[in-house]
Amino acid sequence: MSFVSVNMESGAETPVKLTRRALAKQRTRERVLAAARRLFTERGYEGATIRDIAQAAGMSTGAVFASFADKSELFEEILTADYEVIYAQMTQASRTAKTIDEALLGLFAVAYGFHVEQLPLLRASIAVSWTRSEAAERRARNDLKHIFRLIAEALQRGVDQGQLKKDVDAKLLAEISWDVYVANYRRAVYDGWSVDALLARLSDQLKVIFAGARA
Amino acid sequence: MGVRTDQKAATREKVLEAARDLFNEVGYEETTIRAIAERAGVSVGSVFTTFASKAEVLSHVMSHRLTALYAELDRVTPFLRGSTADKLCSIFAIHYEFECRRVKLFLAHIAASYNPANDPGVTPYGRNPRLNQMLLDVLEEGVRKGDVRSDLDLPLVVDTLKAAYAWNYRMTAAAGGDLEAAQMSAAMDRQISIIAEGWKPR
Repeated sequence: MSFVSVNMESGAETPVKLTRRALAKQRTRERVLAAARRLFTERGYEGATIRDIAQAAGMSTGAVFASFADKSELFEEILTADYEVIYAQMTQASRTAKTIDEALLGLFAVAYGFHVEQLPLLRASIAVSWTRSEAAERRARNDLKHIFRLIAEALQRGVDQGQLKKDVDAKLLAEISWDVYVANYRRAVYDGWSVDALLARLSDQLKVIFAGARA
Repeated sequence: MGVRTDQKAATREKVLEAARDLFNEVGYEETTIRAIAERAGVSVGSVFTTFASKAEVLSHVMSHRLTALYAELDRVTPFLRGSTADKLCSIFAIHYEFECRRVKLFLAHIAASYNPANDPGVTPYGRNPRLNQMLLDVLEEGVRKGDVRSDLDLPLVVDTLKAAYAWNYRMTAAAGGDLEAAQMSAAMDRQISIIAEGWKPR
């Protein structure tokens, strides 16, 4: 991992002994990330400038730019850190499930639980995802690839265990499942839905999506 | 109408047109109210007497466009033929075709609907009842004709279809807005057919 998550205790001891210089640099990064997380949460992506973030972190704009190339890199690093935190839990939820529905609901439940707690940051990340640069898009896709691999695995197990037809279009099913999962966040944003309400809706939607795919 | 109201309506029209073009060409975040006023040939003050915020301008640009889209759809839908799935494919294809004429504008509209600072004068993306009703009508007709199972939760199906529809725009977002509408329609067709597989009467 090339970064340290700012809101989580880093469980493992640091494997390599860092020089004082490297340690100071790492602390600076952490301070910037913590300030950035707070400001993106309060003001959204467009509303928080690098200057605001530097000020909140108690350093100069130049010092921020020494650690991060631009605002989008800073934002992505926060999202990637969060993603790494939930990915392990999503994997576990999916792999210990007995049915395809349980697996998908389990892994999305982890994500809903995490993101609904930090809805403003999630809103900012979805907003940005519609208009970001192609380079940023490629990097984001890399994170998503892992989640799609989890979904694909769950679908394959569903086929192997005879829950789904052998000839299902797994890629397409995964895509639609993802679409409804993300689209449901609008219910949390606009209608204040809880994680349980989101999951109940998702469960019904998955029934609609998989109705023709069941063996 | 008095001269004053005439003038106000003309200003409004000019502002919406300028904003529509700038949002699409330059981007929503990049466009300032000042730039909109300049392009429209009106004063910054007169933009603000008509609209409370840039978000409100975007909202009005979009609802203005929707009026045109639904006029087109009202004309076309009575002539749609084929299965329920076919009709739905056509309706979504018309949407993709329409939004791709100014796709960056549309993407900005979706993005803005997630921005924390939404004021009450704004109708965000996804809150338009027309599409909902149109899809429900087609599905209900399918039930009447025996093309669609009668025990189906139709609003839930509509919800699922709309999610797939909206998220297919990710394809064009990923391509920097440079993608044929037909490619998104083709993806939507496949998604509809997979869902339709489950609503067949048995």
